[in-house]
Amino acid sequence: MSTALPLATPMLDPPVAPRDHAAGPAGARVTLVEYADFECPSCGAAHDVIQAARRAFGDNLRLVFRHFPLRDSHPHALDAARAAEAAAEQGQFWPMHDRLFQRQHALEPEDLGRYARKLDLDMVRWSRVKALPSTEERVLADLAGGRRSGVRGTPTLFINGARYDGLVERGPLLNALARAALAPREPGPGR
Amino acid sequence: MTAKSSPPAARAAVREIGRHTVIRLVGYYLFAGGLLLLVSAMLPENPPPGIAPSTPMPSTMGGMLDWFRGEVALFPDGAPRWVDALFQMVGAVVLVLPLAFTYVRTRTRVKFDHSLVQTVIMLPVVVTAILVVVRDSLALAFSLAGIVAAVRFRNNLRESGDAVYIFGAIGIGFASGIHALSVAAVLSIVFVVVELALWKFNFSADFERTFARLCLPSGADLAGLPGSNEPPHPEPAAAPATDGKTTRLRIYVDRPEAARPLIETVLARDAKRWSFEAEEQAPDHGAPVLAYRVRPKKSVGLENLRGNLLREGAPHVVAADDTPRL
Repeated sequence: MSTALPLATPMLDPPVAPRDHAAGPAGARVTLVEYADFECPSCGAAHDVIQAARRAFGDNLRLVFRHFPLRDSHPHALDAARAAEAAAEQGQFWPMHDRLFQRQHALEPEDLGRYARKLDLDMVRWSRVKALPSTEERVLADLAGGRRSGVRGTPTLFINGARYDGLVERGPLLNALARAALAPREPGPGR
Repeated sequence: MTAKSSPPAARAAVREIGRHTVIRLVGYYLFAGGLLLLVSAMLPENPPPGIAPSTPMPSTMGGMLDWFRGEVALFPDGAPRWVDALFQMVGAVVLVLPLAFTYVRTRTRVKFDHSLVQTVIMLPVVVTAILVVVRDSLALAFSLAGIVAAVRFRNNLRESGDAVYIFGAIGIGFASGIHALSVAAVLSIVFVVVELALWKFNFSADFERTFARLCLPSGADLAGLPGSNEPPHPEPAAAPATDGKTTRLRIYVDRPEAARPLIETVLARDAKRWSFEAEEQAPDHGAPVLAYRVRPKKSVGLENLRGNLLREGAPHVVAADDTPRL
């Protein structure tokens, strides 16, 4: 009689670090890491679910966003990611992140510029940072980290460092987050 | 757990009439009473004799009232019949509105009958009109009896208590129709006070278990009756099913018995209305979920209420998810 070996749940690599875009307190009971692509429709749908989770959990949840632009299928994804990074340089990552997901159908360069203007960003600085090679490297570093962590598509979520393989819908995701929040906490930065 | 040992917050929120409701009702009655008194002085059924308009005000109280009625009377020789009928009908509506309000306030979502509210408001108007037509005519009264006997209405009320509202509305219409608005006013006030008191104190519910013990076979399952050891499930305060302001909150907790008192303390303070719906178990051995119907106070708002639940419910409450407004 053969015994099926349990498959190990892929873990987040690298762990959450100060360089990441995080919303919520560092000491939150649950850390949700999202690998996503601004042009991906499924990520747009997941955005609403994750916003609901943020409202529901409040300070019990920390959300971390990492880029995973699928350049083959989404030609605007990398440019949108760079626009978000350039906004982050002026402390406006999350407003730009929300705006990009809300307007996924319009991610042409002039659209991105319009969004940046709406956020009252310093446009010269934003354009310069967006064009810097280091900005693209930052995005591609997230992409490489995602591949190492077992990300195959978007959106992919990690709850307290472990990949979440359930449905990215309100009920199942909130259940999983609540279960993680109530689980005994393990020390360490790799959540 | 008996009803007496349930959390104070939960008990306080069950069947709470509310200070604002009482103030509104008292204010409404004062306003309506003043208005009806003024209009009845302007449209006297029997104009006061012997007081001619624009004569000096007498010094006695009775004389002053007669003088006032003579001064404000619109029709010194008696109001036309249609004006009189209109006044009685409006008076009936004004006095029956608190009954309709009491019905809405005291009925749960399951027991609430939307059509009955309209019936209670319209019925006294029709009854008043019939009585204005019939007046003192015996022949018309017999004709009416014949017509009513020929028409049959059969409709099951959702609750036997609803019949009382129908009779209350008929009583107000009857009193208004015979120019006894003061009697209609007294009926309206007594009805509302007694009905709210019966609802608030849940009169006779405490004896339900006694009746069950007497009437049911020995060994019958009495769980769920008042006084049993089942956890109390407070009857929800009346909230229309779709008022647009009520939200269903699903609250994720570690231990329901520890979380409920904390949650309900916050709800008793920050919600205008709330009721416990159910305890659910998330699939795959997930966290227990407590479901509540909540209408947050305007001054607090849903987001602040949620924040207070998370903060004051810690460490037992981990999340509070709202479904779209009901």
